[in-house]
Formats: sequence, C-alpha cells, structure tokens
Amino acid sequence: PRRGLSRAAGPRSARRLREAEEAAPLFQFAGKAAARQERVFVWGFCSSGALGLPSFVRPDAGWKKPRRVQRAPYRLETAGKISSAACGYGFTLLSSSTTDITKVWGMGLNKDSQLGFQRSIRDRTKGYEYVLEPSPIPLPLEKPQQTRVLQVSCGRAHSLVLTDNEGVFTMGNNAYGQCGRKVVEDETYSESYLIHQLKEFDSRVVQVVCGQDHSLFRTRKGAVYACGWGADGQTGLGHYNITSVPTKLGGDIAGVNIIQVSSYGDCCLAVSDEGDVFGWGNSEYLQLASVTETTQVNVPRHLPFKIGKVKEAACGGTGNVVLTEEGNVFVWGYGILGKGPNLLETAEPELIPPSLFGCSALSPDVRVAHVRCGLSHFAALTNRGELFVWGKNIRGCLGTGRMEDQYFPWRV
Amino acid sequence: LNAAPGPAPRQRVRFLPAPGDGGATALVPSRVPVLADHPLVRGPRFRRLKIGAGHRLDVKASGVFVLGIGHGNKLLTDLYNCHLTKVYTVGGLFGKATDDFSDTGKLVEKTTFDHITREKLERIIAVIQGTNHKALLMYSNIDMKTQEAYELAVKGLLRPMGKSPPIITAIRCLQLALPEFQLEIHCLHETQQYLRKVVHEIGLELKSTAVCTQVRRVRDGVFTLDDALLRTQWNLQSIQKAIKDCRLKVKKEIEKTLG
Repeated sequence: PRRGLSRAAGPRSARRLREAEEAAPLFQFAGKAAARQERVFVWGFCSSGALGLPSFVRPDAGWKKPRRVQRAPYRLETAGKISSAACGYGFTLLSSSTTDITKVWGMGLNKDSQLGFQRSIRDRTKGYEYVLEPSPIPLPLEKPQQTRVLQVSCGRAHSLVLTDNEGVFTMGNNAYGQCGRKVVEDETYSESYLIHQLKEFDSRVVQVVCGQDHSLFRTRKGAVYACGWGADGQTGLGHYNITSVPTKLGGDIAGVNIIQVSSYGDCCLAVSDEGDVFGWGNSEYLQLASVTETTQVNVPRHLPFKIGKVKEAACGGTGNVVLTEEGNVFVWGYGILGKGPNLLETAEPELIPPSLFGCSALSPDVRVAHVRCGLSHFAALTNRGELFVWGKNIRGCLGTGRMEDQYFPWRV
Repeated sequence: LNAAPGPAPRQRVRFLPAPGDGGATALVPSRVPVLADHPLVRGPRFRRLKIGAGHRLDVKASGVFVLGIGHGNKLLTDLYNCHLTKVYTVGGLFGKATDDFSDTGKLVEKTTFDHITREKLERIIAVIQGTNHKALLMYSNIDMKTQEAYELAVKGLLRPMGKSPPIITAIRCLQLALPEFQLEIHCLHETQQYLRKVVHEIGLELKSTAVCTQVRRVRDGVFTLDDALLRTQWNLQSIQKAIKDCRLKVKKEIEKTLG
C-alpha cells in the first residue's frame, strides 16, 4: 500500500523486516568444482633464472630494474599439476605424474646441460645457457605415454629423473661419474644431448637423491646404491675415489631395509624401517661426531641416538635434522640450528620445543609431518599445513619477507 | 557502606581546665577525641566513589568487566601495562551478511553455506592464527637474534608490550552445527567490533557470509567468569569478598610481569 509523502518512513515492524529478509535473493559463491588447485610458490635468488619468472631477470618495461632476490613466496603458473620439485645450485626441476609427452620442466642454469638440451630460438644449433621459464625437458622414453615420472632430484650440476618402469635418467655434469656413466676426459657438458638411462639395480628404484657431486639410489628392497665423487666418503663404498657406476653400499646398512635416504652437500643420512639412523660422508661439522672423531667416514655407520623411532631424516650443508614418530624435531651439526643464537654447533641431537611449531595448550595435536634441509637453513611442515623455516637467510632463501637470519622456527 | 562502623576518631592530648576549687584553673592533660572527627561534624564518610573501568565492553557484548574502586584505579593502569590476553567466546551464523557485522543490523546479502565443513573452517582459522602470530612477533619489538627472544618464544610469552593493532594470539573452533558455529578467541588490544569483523571475514574466506550473534568475554587477564559477580550479587558483602579474593592474584601478576 502506498504510504504517501506526508508520513515519515519510520522503523518497519519486525514482521515486515522478516518478510523482507526472506524475500531477499540468495547468492551462491561456491561453485561445483570448489576444490583448491595445487599451487607452486617460489622465492629466493632470481638472477640465475631459477625461479621461473622471466620478468625478474629481464623486466618487461625498460625502466624497471631486474630483481635480485625474491624475499616472500610468489606464485608460479605451471602448465600442469606438479607432483615433485627439486632445487639445485642455480636451477630447478619440476615434474608432474601425467602420461602426457611433457612430464618434466626445468629452469635456471644450463651450463652443464643439467636441464637437457634447450634449443635456442635465435640459433637452431646452439642451446640456452640460462633458461628463464619452465621449459619442457625431452626424455628418451620408450613408452612416453605410459611411463610416469615419480620424482626429480638436483645436485650441483647434475639432475636425476626417476620413472616408474623405465629406470632413472641422469643428465648434466659427469666429471666425477655422478651421472652413472663412465667419465670421459675433457668432455664438454654444455649443449650436450646426452641423457643416460640407468636400469641395472636389484629391484625397482623408489627414491633418488643428489648430493653435491654424487648420487644415491634407494631400491624397493631397501638397498642403497651410490656413484660419483667420493673424496669425503660420501659414496660410502669404503674408498675415497670416484665411482662411475652405481654400486651397492655395505657397512652397517648391509641387509637393513632402508626406507629413506637424504643428502645435500657431502654428508648422507639413511633411515631404516625400524627407526635407526645411519650416516656416512663428510663429518667436518660434527655431523657424525657421535660415532667417530675422523672428519670423513666412507662406510655407513649406525648413529646411536636415543631419541625414539626416527621417521624422516634430512641432510643440510652443515647441519642435519631428523623427525621422530611422535613428531619431535632434533637438530645437530653446525650453524644456526634453531635453538637461539647460543647454540651454533653440537654433535648430539637437540630437541626443538614443539611450542615453536604452533603446538600449545589450545591446539595440542599439532605435529611436524616433514622436514627438509637446504645449504644452511631448515624447513618443517606441520600436519595443519603450515611451513616453518629457520637458519641462515642467504639471498632470501627463507621466504620470510626479511633478509635477516632466523634463529628459531618462523611461520612462512 | 556509610552505616558500617568507621575508624575510631583520632585522639589528642589537650590541656583542659579541670574543675578546681575556688577560682584557680589548673590545666590537666587528658586524651580527648578530636571534634573534627565526630560523625555529626564530618558527615557521612563516603559521598562519592571513584570507579574506573578496565578494558571496554560494548553494549551488544557480555562477560567479565573489570572495575576499579577508589585506590584500586592505580592498579588498573598497571594491569593495562601488563598486556595480558583476553579470551572471548564468539558465536556466529553462516548465510547472512549485515552492515554492522552483527545479526541485528540491516541485511546486505544472503548466501548458501552447505559446502562448509569443519575441516575448511579449521584451515581458515589456522591461516588467521599464522598471520597474527607473525604480527605478534613483529610488534613485540624484540630483536629476533637474541637468546632471550628465543626463550620467550619457546615459553609463549612473546607479546607486544606497547601500543599495537588488534592481534589474535590463539583461535579455536568449539563447535560447528550449520548454520551456527562458536569460536574461542584469545586476543590483545582488540575491540568487540573487530571480533565481529573477523567473523565476517571468516565467512567471506569460506565463499559464504557470516554474522556474529554473540560476543562474551570469558577471561580478562587474571579475572575469569568464576570471579565475576552476577546481577543478583551486586551487594556490599559480595563485592568486598570479591575484592579480597582477587587482591593476591592481581599483586602476583603485576609483580611477575612488570618486575
């Protein structure tokens, strides 16, 4: 009913308000495919092109300066759903477990063909030395539309690609035999087409790990093979020479079912299914000082730590970290270990208090699910999906948004 | 209060003339009460009471409200400088959006909410807690590289000791029964309208909308709901008892934090 202009509007009665509310239109914002997409974020040193965003190295506009460091996580658009990623020294590999032709993308330094042969558009005979965008890496697969890539790993100048039924593909520098093929004198590694395939292991390879100049392969039966540089004993074969063919390791791991291997610099750690930790390689930073005084250990040794059953281990350049079944994180070695500025080196594992990872009286069931190491920094992922980083912040590698070192776990 | 027997009147030694024999007046010292303290001269002891309020609580919210009486107002500033966290129980409703973020405001939008699960809510809450935790560390103005910063962070005592924008230190979902839900929020330097805005933002993040139905302060520093007086208990005896019970707690807390 029209009220006319002589009477003021006034507050409507409760019944009218309810009717107006019910008559209001209902919006729906959540679509049918409301599932979150898998996303890739990158941060760190940009000038080598390893971040995969060309505008950081060559800006679009002339007045913009190239960005040297990306301090906070930045979203990287990828062509497919990425299932595995690995960072090398100035280059990155991304892989997805599809059955399409293109399964692996690489970006960054390519001076030793660690990203395969990237044909230059300007000159069809030469290859690119720096790849600024994720570019597909052609692998010589026999059945490209059936094989899936499970995992990738990067070392200093070589990379390993693990497939489910065609073995391991290696490319890059082979000066120490780390690609698993015989060392050729004076070989030029840049612009090389050579991708080597490794198939001779006792059973299927389930994990590949690259150290700085050596490679480790873990098979389904629990055995570990190694090849590459051995001057610090990181191949664990009992000698300090280079090995160009993957050879099975002995020592304390002979006969033990190993479920995880890890390496980054020149030290290696392995975890068995019973929760024991074995280590070999460089021990200059007290990584293996609990069993030996020598600085190089070339045979795997059992590390008698009384911290409970170990689930996962990770090696960094100077420090190591393990994760136990209860979700506790132990660190040892040298460098910023995560317990304040006073703890810079220790030979025995030290526990990082769970309250630093968000576990408090209000949310007592927060546990750390995975741990990883970089050159001198650490990262931990909790079961709530939060990422904590700590360590030395070289060129923004921590991703906290600041350039300072972080002495205790910080949420990214 | 005025009916209660006050302190005894002060006594003073005066030299009063004693009744002597004859005309000679001898002065005899005697203790007599001062006339100025006589109740008929002085009047009622309490005519006004100075009452100060602790942290603000607005009209639509309820819960613990700390008041200081008389000399207790000085303790109020000390308690404020302790910067202790407050705990709220916030109730919300999915599906509506209003202009002042509460359910009594003008309706702006209605949305669906069937897709919301407890897991999605917990994820949003974890994100909120993460960003607020970073703000907590930044505004606490302690150099991150020192050992004491590490120790405070381990014990969870790291918090801003000065002015800062509202920070949520912990947030937890108590129950979720669509369309209603309840959260427990621990926060610092906040206002109740900020908490309602947080509820609105949670609704937006979940691709729906939410309004706040209830804000109830459960804890304010050392005072919990058990110490609070109900409307029926607003009489002299319970107030005096409450003051006595809380005195020790407040003193210990101030000593612990301000040193």
